[in-house]
Order: sequence, then structure tokens, then C-alpha cells
Amino acid sequence: MIDEPTEELASARALGALSAEEAQALDRQVQDDAELRALVAQMRGVTTLLAGTSAGLQPSAQRRAELMRQLDHRDAPASRGWLPWALAAGLAVLCLLLGWQTSALRGRLEAEQHRVNELNRLADTLRLESADLRQSVLTLQQSNRLANMRIVLLASQLHADPQAVAVSVWDNERQSGVILVRHLKPPPRNKDYQLWIIDPRYATPVDAGVLQVDPSGNGRVEFKARLPIQSANQFAVTEEAKGGVTVPTLTALVLAGT
Amino acid sequence: MYAHATMAMWPQWPASDWRPLQATRADVSVPDSTGSNHDGQLMRRIRARERPAFLEFYDRYAPLLLSVAARVLGNRPEAEDVLQEVCTQIWRSPEGYDAALGTLCGWAVTLTRNKAIDRVRATSRHRRLIEEVATSAGSDESAGVSANELLYGKERAARVRVALNALSSEQREVIELAFFAGLSQTEIASRLEQPLGTVKARIRRGMLKLRDELGDML
Repeated sequence: MIDEPTEELASARALGALSAEEAQALDRQVQDDAELRALVAQMRGVTTLLAGTSAGLQPSAQRRAELMRQLDHRDAPASRGWLPWALAAGLAVLCLLLGWQTSALRGRLEAEQHRVNELNRLADTLRLESADLRQSVLTLQQSNRLANMRIVLLASQLHADPQAVAVSVWDNERQSGVILVRHLKPPPRNKDYQLWIIDPRYATPVDAGVLQVDPSGNGRVEFKARLPIQSANQFAVTEEAKGGVTVPTLTALVLAGT
Repeated sequence: MYAHATMAMWPQWPASDWRPLQATRADVSVPDSTGSNHDGQLMRRIRARERPAFLEFYDRYAPLLLSVAARVLGNRPEAEDVLQEVCTQIWRSPEGYDAALGTLCGWAVTLTRNKAIDRVRATSRHRRLIEEVATSAGSDESAGVSANELLYGKERAARVRVALNALSSEQREVIELAFFAGLSQTEIASRLEQPLGTVKARIRRGMLKLRDELGDML
């Protein structure tokens, strides 16, 4: 049995005269009440007949055709059926494009890498060639300098001191030299050892300075000639008065070498 | 003429398929295809995307829906637009129909009326509509062909008209203000300067009386 307030609600619901809250409350009630559900259905039937009291109109054929066209366009299943395929096709095309682009880029990258490797190899070759050239130049320079150098071993001229020895290296281009002395006993206190260069250009040996040796008989002296040397044919060391002399005393020859 | 021609195209359903809402009424004599059983089958076919079913629905109910929209809006082109919207909605969302709560026709009428009311509320025409409904309430509109006549034929349309005329003017006024002017019970009470309870009672009594008079057509 439906009470009057509920009948009022059902009547107003069918006419659309309830507030949204009232309508929702009634709809919930209708779910669990078959009798009320039937009443609501009847009331809706009444409003349908009430609506039919309106002046009758026929839709135009044009509107009908227009609606059918709209439905064709808006046909959900057709749209839903078409859309995934279109998306899939689009994605496939996109994948192909991306694949093609990736392949092209990879090809370009490999070509560039190959070019970089070639350039690196060329740079290595040039570096090696440059090093070779530097070495060659150095060798040439050294060989040229050696050509201008005169290396002479000076042997002992003393019976009492046969172990004494010296090596003289003369750079004719620079007009200077160095002499290494080993095992030569230091001279007497009032004497000095003096180095001489024999150049055929001069009638007498050319003074190259005095030598100093340490108590053990070793010494290293850089020297220059008093006169320009054209050809250092021989070197000799004599024992001379302290401070050296301008002309050597040949009887006091200590070391000599050619 | 249209109604008869259209009905001739419909399948004739056996009377046993019909389940009158008020089985106690003995005057159920002419089964038509507006019943819930037919509605259920028609809606199942529409849900199955059967275009012929939707065309059947349209050809049968579009005149009624257009008539309701035009009465609310007072403008045929707009009413045609509302009809298009409603039909599109039904085709796209047929699951909105619940057979337990009424007929397919009733559902479509409610959709149409609500859309038309929404449109008219959005304009300055609402006040004029209320005046028109209030003025015409209780008057006999038998001069022209009604949508009911197009749908059910003259005899049935006349029965509806008679049932409406049997209501008191107060009952008919509140019912028509609610349905055609889109006023809530509270708004009706305010407009008529009547207690809300009185308005509710008039609506209830009027609707129940119509149901009792027209139960075999529901």
C-alpha cells in the first residue's frame, strides 16, 4: 500500500516537478519497491498521454534524412571499429618512417665515423712522418755537427805515468772544445799543464789554455784556441811554467794525439 | 491518416503479448504496439544497432516528440533541433532506458520535454511560456489534430481529451504548469499563491484520476 505522500512524489516525479534531491530519493525508493515502481510507470504513462494533447506535428522528410545522415556519422560501433585501425595504421606508418629515419641516420653516422677513422689514421701517419722527419733532421744536424767535430785520443808520453790518457773533442764550427783527462798526476806546484792545438795553418802550436786536474788526476776542461783554428790536426799537453806560456816546451810533452 | 498508414507497417503483435498495467480493467480491447513488451523488443533491436528498429521508433514517435517540443518552445525549428538531439541520444545511449520505469515512448517524451524546458529556461521566453500554459490550461484544444490522434487515432485521443476535461481546472492547471512550463511544485505554489501541500494534493489527485480513466492506454 502506497501512502499519499509517496503518491504525491510519484505524481510530481512523472511531471518533472520534483527537485533533484527529491527525485533521487524517490528513485532509490523505487529500486526496492515493486508497487511504487509500477505506480511511477503508470504516472509516466499519464504524462505521455498528457504530452500527446499537444498540437500534432509531423517531422519533415528533410529532417528525417538529416538525422539518418547524422546517425551514419555518429554510429558509435562503426566509429569505434574504424578508429583503432586508423590508429594502428598511423602508428605503423610512423614506425616505418622512424625506422627509415633511424636507418638513414645510422648510415650517416657510420659514414661519419669512417671518415673520422680515416682522418685519425692520416693524422697518425702525419705524426709518424713528422717524427721521422724530425729524427732525420736531427740526424742530419748531428751528422753535420759531427762532420765539423774533431775527436782525438791523447795518449801518455811519460814513461813514469803511462796510464794517463785524455780525449779531446773539438767543434770546429764553434771554435771550442772540451777535454777529459784521466789518471794524470797533478803537476809540480810551480808548473801547469797546458793544451795545444796543432793546425798546419800556423807554424807553431796554438795555445788552448791550461788544464786543471784534481788530486786523483782527473779533470774536464772546456777550452778555446787563442787563434782561429782551421784544421785541428793534433792535440798535445805539455808541462809548462805556472800560468802557461805562448810557445810550448817540446821536451816536456805529457800527452799527445792525432 | 498518417497514424493509420504508419501503423499498417508495424508488426501486429498478438494480444497475449500485452500486459496491461491495470489488468482489472475490462475495457482493454485494442492492443497496440506502444506496450512495454513491444518497447522491450524494439529497444533490444536498437541496442543491437539495428537501423530498421530505430527507423520504426522514429516514424512512430517522432510526431509526438516534435509536438511536445514545439508546445514548450513555441518554435518549430527549435523543436526540430530538440527532436534531433533526443533521437541522437537514444541511438547513441539506448542503455538509458529502463523498461521497469515506463514505456519507451514515455522515456522519449520525458527526454524531449526536459531538453525543451532546459532550452526555454535559458532564454527570456520562460516567463511567456508560463503565462501561455496558465492561460490555456483547462481550455479544450480539440480544434486541431493532437499528437495523440496521430499516434493512437481519433477515438483514443478523444478519450484522453475527455479525461483531461474531467479534471478540475485547478488540477489541470497545476499539472500543465508542472509538465509544459517546467515549474516545480514549490514554484507553482508560489505562482498560484497556494500552500505547497495544496499544490501537491492537486497534482496527486489529478494524476491518479487520469490514471484511473486512461489505465488501459498506459
